[in-house]
Amino acid sequence: MLPSGVFFRDFAAEAAYLRTGPQRLALALFVLALVLLPALAGAYLVGVITLMFVTMIAVLGLQITVGMAGMINIGQSAFVGIGAFVSASLASKLGWPFWLTLPAAALAAGVSSLLFGLPALRIKGFYLALTTVAAQIVFPIGIARLPSAWFGGSSGLAVEPVSIFGHALLKQHELYYFNLAFVLLFALLAFNLKRTRVGRALIAVRDNDIAASVLGVNIGYYKLVAFFVGAVFAGVAGALLGYVVSYVTTDHFTLWLSIWYISMLIVGGMGSPLGAIFGTVVITALQESLHALGNAAAARFGSDFGAFIFPATNSVLGVLIIAILVFQPHGLLTGWNTLKAAYRIWPYRHHGG
Amino acid sequence: MTVEPALEAVDLKVSFGAIKALDGVSLRVDAGQILSVIGPNGAGKSSLLNCLSGVYRPHSGRVLFHGRDITALAPHRRAALGVARTFQGIQSYASMTVRQNILAGFHCRMKTGLLDALLYWPRAQREEREFSARAEEIIEFLELEELRHTLVGELGYGLRKRVDLGRALALGPSVLVLDEPMAGMSVEEKADLARFVLDIRAAHNTPVILVEHDMEVVMDISDQVLVMEWGRAIALGAPAEVRIDARVINAYLGAEEP
Ligand SMILES: Nc1ncnc2c1ncn2[C@@H]1O[C@H](COP(=O)(O)OP(=O)(O)OP(=O)(O)O)[C@@H](O)[C@H]1O
Ligand SMILES: [Mg+2]
Repeated sequence: MLPSGVFFRDFAAEAAYLRTGPQRLALALFVLALVLLPALAGAYLVGVITLMFVTMIAVLGLQITVGMAGMINIGQSAFVGIGAFVSASLASKLGWPFWLTLPAAALAAGVSSLLFGLPALRIKGFYLALTTVAAQIVFPIGIARLPSAWFGGSSGLAVEPVSIFGHALLKQHELYYFNLAFVLLFALLAFNLKRTRVGRALIAVRDNDIAASVLGVNIGYYKLVAFFVGAVFAGVAGALLGYVVSYVTTDHFTLWLSIWYISMLIVGGMGSPLGAIFGTVVITALQESLHALGNAAAARFGSDFGAFIFPATNSVLGVLIIAILVFQPHGLLTGWNTLKAAYRIWPYRHHGG
Repeated sequence: MTVEPALEAVDLKVSFGAIKALDGVSLRVDAGQILSVIGPNGAGKSSLLNCLSGVYRPHSGRVLFHGRDITALAPHRRAALGVARTFQGIQSYASMTVRQNILAGFHCRMKTGLLDALLYWPRAQREEREFSARAEEIIEFLELEELRHTLVGELGYGLRKRVDLGRALALGPSVLVLDEPMAGMSVEEKADLARFVLDIRAAHNTPVILVEHDMEVVMDISDQVLVMEWGRAIALGAPAEVRIDARVINAYLGAEEP
């Protein structure tokens, strides 16, 4: 719903995501805040947010496969892992620059996702979820079994830092800006996808696959596209993660991480890339605050208490996620939209939504 | 001179276990014709339409589109040829707005590929603009202007069926296949829909195949009526002929009067 009094002269203005002056201003201020952040925040926080950007790219990809196209994928972290190892290997063994390792990682993750996406042509729902879990199981075994000259085997791989015009990005804030650029780019790609023919085809397949096929959508092709694009995002996230943490092992890319990604998407709202962004921010903030609380408590009451507090914070996080979903079953984004609409028509009541 | 049929079905057979949903049904429809298919529940009308649009593959028999055998063609390829279809019940894309539903109907007329979509560069923007304008024409034709940005899931039954029709029209149909487009509608809504169908035919000479239970509408707008029972065609002819056919009165029409 638009603010009252706003009309459009043409379809281009209407199709644009940011449709009013204040909306553009808000986005500009938000980006400005992101750019200024390293100057204001401590190194730890900057590091946390840098990793959050990487996560966000993976969750934006998941939104395409799961949210837009409606195919459950519980193996996203395996595709992140494939991207991470491919990029790490090319960067450290062949000395490829990031602008080659990133596309290679994206392609490797995308192509391997097709292998696990193929069953989607035949099966749906729970059984498909199981095949994506298979990706999660096959991935570490594959890395461990392949010649260790390729991917370092089970001990993992060190990653050469990103180098831009001969300058290595080593400082926390440099990595922050590097990843900020990519998260902005991939968020834009995700929003673009949603508003065009391809996005509509993906949503059509999710909403009603039989109707979609009768209306001209090649559903097999679009199911594979959904997996491929989702995994391309994951692959890029993996390559970036490697550069941030500078060492990759298969332990990074567990089923748990995939479940975190899914939780972020569900909490934020599956229907839009904005939901992926919301969810990643909210869950990361919760994780970090609980972690900080736990640390403070452990410092105060001793390490015995610490052994108890860390599992406890995870349970609290689980309960918080459930609470969010009880009050906003369609994710926080719907809550946000209702709030916006209510504000625009205030003081009248808002119906529906 | 013989006219080539726009769409033709020859001796279609489909069964589900012991049920013969279609047991040798044939039909043809020519340019500008409205063919109605009637029959009691479970007669096989939807199964027939599913064979035409490719959702079911018949066990035997053929489907011809302007003389070309399309029996083995996937549904989305038939759509690209212009075989447009609406469904019994509600099958619109519930999470999209009215306009997005219609834009989704343009799918095989648009060209934007994956890379164009991700980058949304000028070529993709231009196509999006052009088709938004065309969607607007359909919205205007179906008198849905007020609702263009409403989520279809929030609309009432009659309006959702109208959106379904709009989505099929977006295909630029060379044959329009409608499964109970008026079911559950009020009298006015039915009249509107009948008018839309007649207007479409008048404007583009589009042949229409229509499944409908409302006899008054069927007798009013059809050129031909095909009557089905237990997977078979028991009568085919002009409304006036079918109405007085003893088997039809027995099997179907008679059932309505005590
Ligand atoms: N996919 C299917 N699986 C099993 N049986 C089916 C299937 N589709 C149709 N049938 C059966 O085939 C017969 C014909 O069904 P169909 O839906 O074609 O009838 P219809 O004439 O459209 O009926 P209605 O007026 O109720 O829509 C019915 O007995 C139905 O149960
Ligand atoms: Mg039916």
